[in-house]
Amino acid sequence: MRDGKVAIIFKRLVPNCIMKAKNERRKQYIGSQIDDCKDLSGIFYLLPFQKGYLVNWDVQRQVWEHTFGKDVMNLEPEDTNAIIAEPYFDFSSIQEAMNEIYFEEYNFKAILRTNAGTLSAFKNRQEEPNQLCCLLVDCGYSFTHIAPYYNGKKVGSAIRRVNIGGKVLTNHLKEIISYRQLHVMDETYVMNQVKEDVCYVSLDFFGDMKIAKLKGQENTIVRDYILPDFSHSKRGYLKQDDTKLKPHEQTVRMNNERFAVPEILFHPSDIGIQEMGVSEAIVHVINNCPTDMRPHLFKNILLTGGNAMFPGFKERVESDVRSMAPALYDVRVTKPVNPITHAWEGGKLLSTSKNFSSLMVTRDEYNEHGHSICWEKFDV
Amino acid sequence: MAVVQEQTKRESGRIKDVNQKRVLDSYTRAKRLRKQLEALEQDNFQEDPQANLVIPNKRLPQFDSNEGSNPAKKKKKTRGDHFKQRFRKTFNMLVEEEQLSMQEPPNYLTACIPPSKTPDRKFCAVCGFPSNYTCVSCGARYCCVKCLGTHQDTRCLKWTV
Ligand SMILES: [Zn+2]
Ligand SMILES: [Zn+2]
Repeated sequence: MRDGKVAIIFKRLVPNCIMKAKNERRKQYIGSQIDDCKDLSGIFYLLPFQKGYLVNWDVQRQVWEHTFGKDVMNLEPEDTNAIIAEPYFDFSSIQEAMNEIYFEEYNFKAILRTNAGTLSAFKNRQEEPNQLCCLLVDCGYSFTHIAPYYNGKKVGSAIRRVNIGGKVLTNHLKEIISYRQLHVMDETYVMNQVKEDVCYVSLDFFGDMKIAKLKGQENTIVRDYILPDFSHSKRGYLKQDDTKLKPHEQTVRMNNERFAVPEILFHPSDIGIQEMGVSEAIVHVINNCPTDMRPHLFKNILLTGGNAMFPGFKERVESDVRSMAPALYDVRVTKPVNPITHAWEGGKLLSTSKNFSSLMVTRDEYNEHGHSICWEKFDV
Repeated sequence: MAVVQEQTKRESGRIKDVNQKRVLDSYTRAKRLRKQLEALEQDNFQEDPQANLVIPNKRLPQFDSNEGSNPAKKKKKTRGDHFKQRFRKTFNMLVEEEQLSMQEPPNYLTACIPPSKTPDRKFCAVCGFPSNYTCVSCGARYCCVKCLGTHQDTRCLKWTV
């Protein structure tokens, strides 16, 4: 541009937590500072969220201040508009705290508080304007929400929550590996990577169980995973068949664990949580919507959140829902290129839309009307 | 004579042992399951490596979660901390508040998905493969004699979660 300014849009993913390393007795790593940490074994977490809701404000504010500050975004809140994504059914007390902190403490110019799923559904509607409805599945860290959207608006009364997310999966993996092989209860960070690197959603669960029981070459599921030791390697990786282990290398063997762990998303009762799994819940939620909406929801199921990244996740949802849906309805399931940042992309798109400013509450409006204008404008 | 006596003694000893085999009641079994599920929600298994560390002039995060808040170690309040005091609530307090608020559904509590309509599946508590047998003592599942042995030696009645 002529004045030398270039509009740069960049996204930064910052872990929303403070971490402590076993071998760094005094240092704390806030958000992306963890990139500087050389030894990620035994990482201790301070999380602002509990069961998906913001409860530890001290931790959250430190992460925000780090993120807004010069290390990450280097922004002036007074001149900045912010879109804030909150969980569905966020508690009133948390919503009011958000208003106060963003306006009174950080002095943002204007904010829009909404749900991540609403941003994803907005993007979907822009990309596929012919779709009247969208069945948004947000399968994240603390839980999974299934939220129907009609004409871009969420159908609040039909939204349901399955209390399974990535956290339960990682903790369960830690537990079974610790019992069966090697004590890894303190290795949340490492075992989360093991989960991401080798777990998958099975398309034939009991068939895969049979294969995993086989010995030798016939077992095409079993994998040995070399754990990082943080002197030779910072990240673990799959052991190649023909290579010999080096003396410093330690492995975990992932066999039925590879698919039994993500299976909890589809059968929470496998670990004693008496709830429907994701696929059954999708069908349940659609069947609770008005009849004329149902075919439109079945043909536009959108998968977001980190668990959608599991290989096989989309195909499994597709085949499960197909088998439970009425035969005359089309079933179409979409997984965006990046299910984790899809809501962010939706927010970016929304911020360039014509009526964006009418959706926001400005600092001046807040100073005049307080919480009431936020309750009026934001549908969280 | 002596030999027979010896045998009877051993026999009765074994019978006694079998009779005394403890069986967990349903209350204990439910409690065990609840503890296991609570463990799956935990942020950390280990202790805070800096729990006893005092860093002077540095903002330390305070835990307002239910466990172990230490009023003696309260830091000096800044203005911001003071006016946010009323927002310091644990997750359970938030849910309770929602229950009392008579807020019209839908809300957090009404949004929970109901139980599955399909029957539970059974997996071996030791190896994770499908299982056909239930441990008489504790109700855990096992798939073979080998896994039953491991289960009895490691968890079963010994396990306090
Ligand atoms: Zn077994
Ligand atoms: Zn037992």
